[in-house]
Amino acid sequence: MKRWREAGAPALAGLAAAGLAAAVVLGGAAGLAAALRARAARASQQEPEAPPWWTPAGPAPPARVARGRTLFLHSCAHCHGLDARGDEGPDLHGLEVSDRYIANTIRRGIKGEMPSFARKHGPADVSALLAYVRSLRAD
Amino acid sequence: MDTPFWAKVHGAVVHFPVALSLCSAALDAAGFALASRPAAPELHRGGRLAMIAGTLGAMPVVVSGLMMTRGELLGHGLLRWHHLFAWPACGLLAALAGWRTVAGPCPPRRALGAYLACALVAAGLVAAAGYWGGELMLAGAPP
Repeated sequence: MKRWREAGAPALAGLAAAGLAAAVVLGGAAGLAAALRARAARASQQEPEAPPWWTPAGPAPPARVARGRTLFLHSCAHCHGLDARGDEGPDLHGLEVSDRYIANTIRRGIKGEMPSFARKHGPADVSALLAYVRSLRAD
Repeated sequence: MDTPFWAKVHGAVVHFPVALSLCSAALDAAGFALASRPAAPELHRGGRLAMIAGTLGAMPVVVSGLMMTRGELLGHGLLRWHHLFAWPACGLLAALAGWRTVAGPCPPRRALGAYLACALVAAGLVAAAGYWGGELMLAGAPP
């Protein structure tokens, strides 16, 4: 019994350490994943946002549209194309979604498809981008 | 932080654990094969350190990968294939490093044989995860 203990204890300790390490790593990853998914769900377009932080729809001044085009060329054209006719991303002409949806998409991105631009573009920029996108008429 | 930032971090840190875990298996296999030579204990010491460092190096890979996919544990398509190999590889590497930490640099030969077999499986899983990770990158690249 003593010999078995001498031989078996280190082996058991090793197996316990192996199981613990795997459980900590995979459990930690699962926990982080759950937290990130919850955060993404809170930030998704499905959940309403209380205060409107972009300029409401209406006739946009040409200066804002022009600024939106400049921002578009810097941040969006490499995926949506220089003429916004779509490349890797979709064609943006004649979008049949709300201003809020477009603004939220710019700000938060689309999971796995489009990055968030919340840090890069503030409300004024998003308004300008929205004005530019709204100026693109469907043919 | 936006997704491309974490994609860049993931790409930057992923190669360390891959290289270290494969290097660890190679060092331990050499030590196992050259058991009678004086260099064998040193090879096993190197293998142990590389395995522990590789597993610690896998932590930023896991975090950046989860940040990149916003918590997607499996996903679909190529990402699913990547994850189907990456998660078992991650768990197995952690288990091997945990065992190696407790068992010391020169465990009994029989146990080391079993360890090497598991390390070989982990190397295969890591390679497969890397293959599908590469396919994911190519899928987003121009032809």
